[in-house]
Amino acid sequence: MALNPAQDELQRRERVRLAGLLAPGLLWLILFFALPLVVILIYSFMTNGPRGNVVFQPTLANYITLFTKSIYVNAYLRSIWASLLTTLICLLLGYPLALFIVRQPARWRTPLLFLILIPFWTNFLVRIYAWQIILANNGLINSSLDALGLPTITLLNTEGATLLGLVYGELPFMVLPLYAAIDRFDFTLLEAAADLGASRWRAFLRVMLPMTMPGVAAGSVLVFIPTLGQFVVSELLGGAKVDYLGNLIQRLFLRSNPPDWPLGSAMAMVMMLVLLVLILFYFRATTEDDR
Amino acid sequence: MKKAIHWLALGLLLALAACGGAPAASPGNEYGGATDAPAGGETAATDGEVDRSRLSGELYFYNWSDYVDPAILEQFQEEYGVEVIVDTYDSNEDMLAKVRAGNSGYDIVVPSDYAVQTMAIEDLGLPLDKSMLTNWTHLDPELLGQYFDEENAISVPYLLGLTGIAYNTEAFPEGVDSWAAMFDTAQVANYQGKLSMLEDERETPGAALKYLGKSLNETDPAALEEAQALLIAQKPLLAAYNSADVNRKLASGEYVIAHAWSGTAMQARNGLGDEFSGNPAITFVIPKEGGTIWMDNLVILKDSPNAYTAHVFINFLLRPEIAAQNAEYVGYITPNQDAVPLLSQEVRDLYDAGYAPTDENIDRLEWIVRDESTSAFTDLWTVVKGD
Amino acid sequence: MIEATSQPAATRAAKPAIERGRLTWGGLALTAHAVLMYLFLYVPITILVIFSFTRDEFGVRWTGFTFEWYTRLFANERLMGAAANTLYVAFASTLVSTILGTLLALAMERYRFRGRNATDALLYLPIVIPEIVMAVALLAFSAFVFDLIRLVTGESLRRNLTTVIIAHIAFSISFVVVVVRTSLKNFDRRLEEAAADLGADSWRTFWRITFPLILPGIIGGALLAFTLSLDDFIISLFLSGPGTSLLPVEVYNKVRRAVTPEINAISTLMLIFSISLVVLSQAVQRRR
Repeated sequence: MALNPAQDELQRRERVRLAGLLAPGLLWLILFFALPLVVILIYSFMTNGPRGNVVFQPTLANYITLFTKSIYVNAYLRSIWASLLTTLICLLLGYPLALFIVRQPARWRTPLLFLILIPFWTNFLVRIYAWQIILANNGLINSSLDALGLPTITLLNTEGATLLGLVYGELPFMVLPLYAAIDRFDFTLLEAAADLGASRWRAFLRVMLPMTMPGVAAGSVLVFIPTLGQFVVSELLGGAKVDYLGNLIQRLFLRSNPPDWPLGSAMAMVMMLVLLVLILFYFRATTEDDR
Repeated sequence: MKKAIHWLALGLLLALAACGGAPAASPGNEYGGATDAPAGGETAATDGEVDRSRLSGELYFYNWSDYVDPAILEQFQEEYGVEVIVDTYDSNEDMLAKVRAGNSGYDIVVPSDYAVQTMAIEDLGLPLDKSMLTNWTHLDPELLGQYFDEENAISVPYLLGLTGIAYNTEAFPEGVDSWAAMFDTAQVANYQGKLSMLEDERETPGAALKYLGKSLNETDPAALEEAQALLIAQKPLLAAYNSADVNRKLASGEYVIAHAWSGTAMQARNGLGDEFSGNPAITFVIPKEGGTIWMDNLVILKDSPNAYTAHVFINFLLRPEIAAQNAEYVGYITPNQDAVPLLSQEVRDLYDAGYAPTDENIDRLEWIVRDESTSAFTDLWTVVKGD
Repeated sequence: MIEATSQPAATRAAKPAIERGRLTWGGLALTAHAVLMYLFLYVPITILVIFSFTRDEFGVRWTGFTFEWYTRLFANERLMGAAANTLYVAFASTLVSTILGTLLALAMERYRFRGRNATDALLYLPIVIPEIVMAVALLAFSAFVFDLIRLVTGESLRRNLTTVIIAHIAFSISFVVVVVRTSLKNFDRRLEEAAADLGADSWRTFWRITFPLILPGIIGGALLAFTLSLDDFIISLFLSGPGTSLLPVEVYNKVRRAVTPEINAISTLMLIFSISLVVLSQAVQRRR
């Protein structure tokens, strides 16, 4: 197909512009992320040496172990369940919060947004430790109960405590993208829906939720993934009693004697692949329609 | 590179000399004179000739956290003008990962027993020039030449410890002398949620194996299965698997009994530096079924940029009064036998009471061996954590 | 630099209706929920701050007021140095990753090109990867590159703060892209077309129309990158060099042994620093 020179010129300029936008970030990612990742991919097909050194002997054994041993399969399932739960709770708590912020007068919105983030500018571990102080057997809640003559309850080192810590740690990662999406939402559409006789709830479900879906999707992904890889919260609030995927990978790399980097790499590769497929699918499903 | 070869040659020579000759070859001190240790004032002179022009301005020390008294580092700087910069790690595997990658920039690291063996096999440690380590003779010969470095070619014992049970005597006025206090579920139910086991895939199954009357290093599948069942039955009664802040939690009463390292127990009892003061009701025991002994060691890295200064620093740490001050601060046991008389009476009493190897407990202590056969423990631990 | 108030004209017009809406039960519930959420977020932080002044050496009980932990902290060069390093790394990596991430987001949302799907996948990978895996990968890779450099130039390099910054940028970019793309998705492109029709060139259109509209997304992305960098522990551990310790690493090692109110004190200082920064930037903006 022949283009006239002007169109040709336009296309050329567009292409240059695209290259300018893409090149710096993409180059950075390929150099400092994709290439290092290839190392892990290679490791995952290697043999573990007797002292935990990687021996360059190609094998599929690591992947076979992962898919055949029930302890590993279970670790995947358990982690996915915990992450789903965390994501759902964050979404239920985060959406109304983001909505609340968007609905405030303009000059309040930025401070309110910052208020969400400020707690996260202290060290993560220290925050989790603060929860230990609150939940421990002789912690703030239980000593208050005790002072009131009420029976004390075991709060720390339970799966509930782990879940609490996860939600606490991930909430802003849900609220930020939700805020960005709701901020773009045209609220007159809700009025239009109301004028057409839709109930508030129906208007929300049919109009607002679909239009803010990109935010929901982004937030869910930002919460789901790190939760799947976490290892500190279950250690500090859950008493390290249950292994999640993150604990297992961390242990294979850094705690086992000898460590097993090839198996850890394979485990990470499978996890990433599954997540990647899930996420691409999820984003397609939730956002393609508004293009 | 030339420097490395130079050191290597020296190290080899020394290793040969050590094989053939009596250990009394070094000047000044006679082997076996533990009781008539040189007085504190003299030891500075036994540091040997130090060529100050060869000292570097800085020394990079990669160590466990809270594992050296900062005052000692200041003293070293005052004496030699070398600033010791400490970075910290949390597990041997953290350290090994960084060192294996090469060019870490560190001079001295502190691997535990089995990690020394790994470093030796992978040729990561610099052979020591023992002619520079004039204070070597202060080390307890019983602790030298362990399985992981039989000639002490690359490693110098730094601090050691035991693993047993730490408990609060107010909760156990009768005392504790058996792993049953941790594994007999009928007993444990009385203090459920107030005990912890180490978060360690060798120590914790090891404790269960000891309770069953087996070796820590037993890899017979039937024995492992039994140990696994014990651990799974115990898990719901635990507060946590914890190898981090057991000291604090014992001292504050959050735990009444814990599977713990001797130093943790001593910190819980005596406090840690100026960070917290202790709880005198805490005590430590090696149960009658047995416990673990382990040792951390100083190793100069093969690619150390300041190997000469590193030797001077290690020799400084081997001075009895420095070793004593350090052990007092850290709470673990010094392998420096001439340092022991210099410790405070309080700490010496604890050593005698079983926080350190004694005639009473030495036969019940075992080293943990780690090689390809022991990867079975990784699986066991994964099953326990997955249940 | 920070302003999250840009609104399309349509939304502004809708404001009065929403103002009215706040008096309803739904509005009240929303407010109550928000109050509870802020409490949830701030209770641990408040405890942290209060217990940085307690005499109790475990930092878990109130046993009297003291400034001791702060004096001790100021004397602790290690912790103070680590805090300075951490802030430096966070600022540097946020700046670069926000710029690179925004450019990528524009490319991904505005263009159709060959390899777009592959780029999409590459962009999500850093989010999907467990931190420890990225840390190990980068460690092994940096060792490899350093060896190569030594072979070629004879120069012996070491990991230092720059390697940490490079790594932080690498994992932050994707997070910025995700957030900025969200604000580009609901973007009304007719506004840009209108500007173009009025004769604005594409550069002007971008700065006058596009940029203000996606600014909330950019700010969100930058804040996310900043927070991630401040908190990152394991990549910092592996990629920092000798003597360039970072706060999360120091805190992790310390906290695992014994938390002292000194840690509470430095956390409080970091909080005060962050808050003053925010207040300052807001004040500057108001004046403009």
